[in-house]
Amino acid sequence: MEPDGTGVWRELLDDFQKKHPNVRVRLVEGPPATDAREEMYSSSFLSGDAAYDIVYADVIWIPKFAAAGWLMDLTGLVSPADREDYLPADLEAGMYHGRLYRVPAYTDAGVLYYRKDLVPQPPATFDQLADLSERLKTQDRYGFLWQGKQYEGLVTVYLETLWGFGGDWIDGETRRVFLDSPEALEALEFLRKAIGTISPPAVTTYAEEETRLLFQNDRSVFLRNWPYVWTLLEQTLRKDGRAGVAPVVHAPGHSSASTLGGWGFAISRFTQNPDAARQLVEFLTRPEQLSRIQLRLGRIPARKRLVPPEFAPILKSARVRPEIAEYAQASDILQRWLSAALTGRVTSKTALLKATRETRALLGDVR
Amino acid sequence: MKTHRLEAGSFLWFLPAALLLSGIVFYPILRTILLSFARRSLATGFRTEFAGIDNFARIVTDSRFHASLWTTLVFTIVSVLAEFVIGLALAISVTSIRGGRNAVRAILLVPWTLPTAVTAVLWAWVLNDQYGALNAFLLHSGVTQTPIGWLATPASAMIAIIATDVWKTAPFVFVILLAGLQNIPRDLYDAIEIDGGGAWAKFRYVTWPHLMPFSFVALMFRAVQAFAIFDLVWVMTGGGPGGATETVSIYTYRTYMRYLDFGYGAALAVTTVAILSAAAGGLYTALVSKYERTF
Repeated sequence: MEPDGTGVWRELLDDFQKKHPNVRVRLVEGPPATDAREEMYSSSFLSGDAAYDIVYADVIWIPKFAAAGWLMDLTGLVSPADREDYLPADLEAGMYHGRLYRVPAYTDAGVLYYRKDLVPQPPATFDQLADLSERLKTQDRYGFLWQGKQYEGLVTVYLETLWGFGGDWIDGETRRVFLDSPEALEALEFLRKAIGTISPPAVTTYAEEETRLLFQNDRSVFLRNWPYVWTLLEQTLRKDGRAGVAPVVHAPGHSSASTLGGWGFAISRFTQNPDAARQLVEFLTRPEQLSRIQLRLGRIPARKRLVPPEFAPILKSARVRPEIAEYAQASDILQRWLSAALTGRVTSKTALLKATRETRALLGDVR
Repeated sequence: MKTHRLEAGSFLWFLPAALLLSGIVFYPILRTILLSFARRSLATGFRTEFAGIDNFARIVTDSRFHASLWTTLVFTIVSVLAEFVIGLALAISVTSIRGGRNAVRAILLVPWTLPTAVTAVLWAWVLNDQYGALNAFLLHSGVTQTPIGWLATPASAMIAIIATDVWKTAPFVFVILLAGLQNIPRDLYDAIEIDGGGAWAKFRYVTWPHLMPFSFVALMFRAVQAFAIFDLVWVMTGGGPGGATETVSIYTYRTYMRYLDFGYGAALAVTTVAILSAAAGGLYTALVSKYERTF
């Protein structure tokens, strides 16, 4: 579980225990870094122990965990009515080989924040974004902030850019790799050229929080980030209507596509208490509970009826990252080469060719 | 007869330690070596299949391993040499202090006592481009007009992790060499003075040869630790940017824990240990044989 800073998870579990006095639930708080929590679960599962009955899982863990046989099949746990209510992309992200392993709880998708007082109409295309940034940047204000550090966040930013240009990374089904396409190069060049012009030179070290803090402190016109920022801006930029939220940009003739993130619940194959675990997952994913988390943590529930109106159109265009068991390797290959190109170690072309070759070798995409 | 019983008895005393050691040292080593000749990963459903030398063949062509090995080598050589020179300079200057030597020694030891992860977080903040103390200093003194992202480019990130490591572990070298210096009999220096030798002669013919065994200990410990560097890099750069600071231990860890490729991870570990043993053996021969020739 993520660190329970506000104590809201504890409250939910207390409520559950009031209704199920014979079930004892223990909340284990992990580190804030999601990679570290993934490894926390992995090492426990590798030793085959039942330390965790329930996994609070990121979308991208599911193929690996399911392929390893660490998760219970939860296909029967979601009623047809709930199936209708969940956002389709979030439900899909919990599937592996046609079975459901993760019940969605909260959704996440990349969005573009902009300064309403400076930009009346948010940009729709890459060129508009670059032009506005160039025009409105000052000594103390950058144009466009995004996550450029070598980590998963960079992959999500790149994918949105790549999809916006009409390209793709990997087809999860056929396991084919498309990183040697002209669109892939266009997308990478867009980000590379932004560094030092409309984006700060050190953007290649920024994760979500660094960029959020800069934007919140009036240091940028645009920010690519996740919906959680919206709640945090409430006391600052949003108070006098200076912040707006829009879909991420795209190239003319293509459409905007956000990378889908989000969290849900899975049940460990090694659990000694499958029934209690099912009851708890069922309880935590009910609209009442999801709303409470939404109120306190600013998360967007993965249920259609609870999605705030300003995010509804953006979430419709959210796309899942490839559902392959080797996701971690594929992502690391991409992260390394993207970062190498963005920091000038190699040219964009070389980076993409190397990444294509390594990813094809990994997935057995022989041509 | 009596000696024989004594031997059997002493063996019994040795037994608990031997069992403990074989349980926590020899068994994992043996298993890792066996595993390095096997295919065992998510792709095999965690079943172990005999792979022969496939894993090692893959290492030969694995450019990511070669890059990480090179990074580790550069890191080890540069940081250990810098630590040695700084540690030696500190030790010599502290020996010449008359009053308050203990206080100075205690202060110099502070970086060494901090946990590596804490050191890494601390320096990452000092080097932060927007809020870091170093950039604040450089901007105020007019050295630069725009903040510098120290961890943002491959070369400066490498320099940053080396500098942090030197800051943290030069005190270790300092303490070891200080102990060595305090063991040198004063009259040897007096003898040089009588022969008309200066400061250089004292260093060359007394200090340096006497420090040799201490230098060896310090260098060996530091080199082995630096070669296995993990936490510092993990916290400061995570191996980035562009994989420029990924060391072999970080790559091995990722292969195990993220990719769940245990056979190949074991082969990486075995290869690293083999390279390290060879290097340590070389260092030992070079330094110790030289030391013995001096006398």
